[in-house]
Amino acid sequence: MSNRQASTAGAAPASSPRRAAPKQRPRWRSVKWAPYLFVLPNMALFGAFTIYPALNAFNLSLYSSSDGRRFTYVGTGNYSQILSSEEFWSVARATVIFVVATVVLTTVAATALAIALNAQRRGKGLLRAAYFVPFLVSPVVVGLIWRLALERQNGLVNTVLDAIGLGQPGWLLEPRLTLGVIVLVGLWIQLGFYTLIISAGLQGIDSSVYEAATMDGATWWQQLRSITLPLLLPTMLVVIVLSTIHAFQAFDYIYTLSGGGPLGATTLIVQYIYETSFQSPIQFGLAAAATVILFLVVFSATLINYMAGRRREAV
Amino acid sequence: MRGHTLLRTGAIATFSAAVLALTACAPGGSDDDPTPGGGAEPGSETIDWEGFEGETLDYVYFTDGPDEAATRDLIGQFEEETGAAVNLQIIPFAELEQTLQARINSGNPPEVARVAQWYPFADSLVDVRTYLGEDYPEEFIAPQAAAGTDPEGRFLAVPNDLTMNGPFVNVDAFEAAGVELPTADDPWTWDQLVEDATAVQEANDMESAIAIDKSGHRVSTVLSQFGTTLLDDDGAALDPEMASAALTELNDLVGSGAILRDFWLEAGSRYAGAHEQFLAEQVPVYLSGNWQVGQFAENASFGWSAVPNACAERCGGFPGGKFLTAFSGSENPELAVAFVDWMNRTEQQVAMAEAAYWIPTRADLAEAEINYPDRVEDMAAFRADVEVTPEDAFAANAHPAFGAAATLVVEEVSAMFAGQQDPAATVEAIENGVAEAAELVQP
Repeated sequence: MSNRQASTAGAAPASSPRRAAPKQRPRWRSVKWAPYLFVLPNMALFGAFTIYPALNAFNLSLYSSSDGRRFTYVGTGNYSQILSSEEFWSVARATVIFVVATVVLTTVAATALAIALNAQRRGKGLLRAAYFVPFLVSPVVVGLIWRLALERQNGLVNTVLDAIGLGQPGWLLEPRLTLGVIVLVGLWIQLGFYTLIISAGLQGIDSSVYEAATMDGATWWQQLRSITLPLLLPTMLVVIVLSTIHAFQAFDYIYTLSGGGPLGATTLIVQYIYETSFQSPIQFGLAAAATVILFLVVFSATLINYMAGRRREAV
Repeated sequence: MRGHTLLRTGAIATFSAAVLALTACAPGGSDDDPTPGGGAEPGSETIDWEGFEGETLDYVYFTDGPDEAATRDLIGQFEEETGAAVNLQIIPFAELEQTLQARINSGNPPEVARVAQWYPFADSLVDVRTYLGEDYPEEFIAPQAAAGTDPEGRFLAVPNDLTMNGPFVNVDAFEAAGVELPTADDPWTWDQLVEDATAVQEANDMESAIAIDKSGHRVSTVLSQFGTTLLDDDGAALDPEMASAALTELNDLVGSGAILRDFWLEAGSRYAGAHEQFLAEQVPVYLSGNWQVGQFAENASFGWSAVPNACAERCGGFPGGKFLTAFSGSENPELAVAFVDWMNRTEQQVAMAEAAYWIPTRADLAEAEINYPDRVEDMAAFRADVEVTPEDAFAANAHPAFGAAATLVVEEVSAMFAGQQDPAATVEAIENGVAEAAELVQP
């Protein structure tokens, strides 16, 4: 506050009927603190248990340790080691195949299912709930159930296939087949959730658009191509971003279903990080370096999706 | 508006600075940290047994099942005798090492932990001779005492129980097939084992002839019987010819279907025990170890027994075991050593052995009769195999690199079973990997 303002304010009599010139408050007082205070507890927890560990992982990635307790600074040594490791690239390859297959299948299947459910006249809610149930079951339990069902000799699936003369495929024995299995089980778990999101997007499309199109003689296929899918794109983008993040994070049900086998064919990046971190010999530095690489990849993929979505919106 | 921008910028700058300050410092300790507890002379400290009234001791423990109740009973007696309170903290075996490392790192190690491998914590353990005297290791059987001693001669881990790998057989199935069981005087050769197991499998229409846990420890048993070990006191020790003979035998068994290929491959990167296959009467011979006796006694609905290990170049099984360790950085190392000493006295080891089918580690119990509640002959078979197990097998198991080497063996043998490499390539990969692992743990 300037001296001039202060003297003017001070000269006004307290009982003056004329309204005093508004006192200019200091800048810090003009800030509304209440919203910040409301979010403070959550942000403090988020900072302590998410942001700090995430940043500390970057710090850890610059150190080497053979026991998780004593550390030696190695600079980018862990990154060099990991990027020259055959095992890491094998894991990265499996992860990329898994993510691409999961995201494509999830988006297509969830969209198709949501459209099919939307067209239903009866039992829509019941069907949606039925598809949603696997999402509510613990992924560890899902993995164990499918593991039992897919056993080559005594599993339910092969018992049925064998009975109708289709033999006993080694679902958890052949590397490519097992990779396919974890994609399909992942789809089975998440389909209901993403269908729900796409369904919400479908509900948001004004029905008068379809009425107008019908009056203009548009077929179902033309309506789908020219109305439904373009208007669903923002919702589908959400599904693509979320399923990409989920796919990169996939671990629990895979660990109990295939254990990363056979011969490491379904060991994805999170299992690799877990085993490097927590199985003897504990190597926090290497695991942290893999975590940073995973973060950069997921962040880039999300950014690309987001920017592609923005560009489409601009068009 | 400008105030908001300033505030936001200031907050972000403060937050970033705080985070950078927090993360920029080195995590944990440095490799140059001095060794705690080192340097004290054996017998230089004494235990004041009268002074533990009101003291508390954390005991980190993992359980194999029947041992938990017996441990709790002994803890009750210890508490009564000393007036100290024991806080038994049971955690899963898979989390043992990371839990202990985290507690040591945060300056809060437990007083005592039961561990299978003590090397990762060696710098944080008390040399119990400091309190219990230089001759204390002699109270235990020599190879296990050596397994608890570091290269400087410090007795850091007191052997608490000894395990021995060995085969179980489905006696009913053998009798139905009219095949005789091996005896201590006339053990199987590997050829006889395969022949008999296959005959029993076929006669009883079982899934496979032999089951072996997916474990580097179990493969080490076969390697030892064929005359070689992964490691010895000097480091990597695999004999390529003998190892090749052992792995060719196993690979042929998988190829013929005598051992289930599915079992090894379906388990992924994890350990897998074949006990369920044995309990389901789908295999006549199961190579595992004495820790299964308790659960088979409880759960098997058929006649079974433990038999002597098969011989090839030599006989015997492969040892393992658990150790009790006292932590120097804990609140009460003296109480910790007292507890370790008390739990490993003759009466206590006998109590644990009788209740949990353990093989004692004390020298005075090596030949003594243990009154196991049941299955006395089966436990006798395992104890007899301790006597004929070669010394280099004990040395291999005691080597700091054994855990990493065993993991590597499982990976390479799995690749061989999957047909990705032949036994010669598998031996070469194991040789190279074990040499690297041994190099990493060199002091």
